[in-house]
Amino acid sequence: MFSWIIQNALGTIPTWTWPALAGASFVINLLSGILSHLPQFKPWHYFIKPLSWVGILVGVFMYGGAGVTVIYQEALKEQQAKIAVAEQASTDANTAIKTKVVTRVQVIHDKQVIYKDRIKEVTKEIDKDCKFDKDASKILNDAAKNPIKDTK
Amino acid sequence: MKKIIPLLILISLVGCATGPKTNVVMTFPTAPQDLTTTCPDLATVDPNTEKLSDVLNVVTANYSQYYECKVKVDAWIEWYNTQKSINDTVTK
Repeated sequence: MFSWIIQNALGTIPTWTWPALAGASFVINLLSGILSHLPQFKPWHYFIKPLSWVGILVGVFMYGGAGVTVIYQEALKEQQAKIAVAEQASTDANTAIKTKVVTRVQVIHDKQVIYKDRIKEVTKEIDKDCKFDKDASKILNDAAKNPIKDTK
Repeated sequence: MKKIIPLLILISLVGCATGPKTNVVMTFPTAPQDLTTTCPDLATVDPNTEKLSDVLNVVTANYSQYYECKVKVDAWIEWYNTQKSINDTVTK
């Protein structure tokens, strides 16, 4: 609850409020010194003087806090800017990699088409002279199977 | 008392930070869609075929398949190295 008040309520108060409070309290402090010399206002002096000290302390303290906040916010902005640059670089890198993959896969597909055509050209010759043994095809198929799948 | 008060003012200059405690988070990069699909199994020869041309077709298709997967693996390596170096620029 306290941290919520600090972050949300005090955070919205403009920075100039604090030096103004400290300054006003300082002036009141001086005035209370004058009041102490006037007998009819002397009782007020005992009340105003400590209050003005509290005002000075709170004003200076919060002004210091505002300074620290500005430093934090600067660091935050700097980090956010860094992240924005990094995220853009990341997106650019993704696009470059994606383009590279698509291009390379296309080259592989094109080559595959060429090989298919070349096989078509010589199909009659190679099928006429060579027969592929069924045992050979079984070995080939067994070797093509993913050995990791068997271990699952 | 008069000596303590200036000291208190001095100490209070350190202030209290009232700024929002916001964590700056960098979103994890999404890998390109093409890289997130698994490589298919290798094609197999029709067990009843005796034609060498059928075998050749399957073997060349499998070679192509291998190179496609190689492209993906290489791209994953490049993706990781690139993203890591980008991430390092923010975190270090």
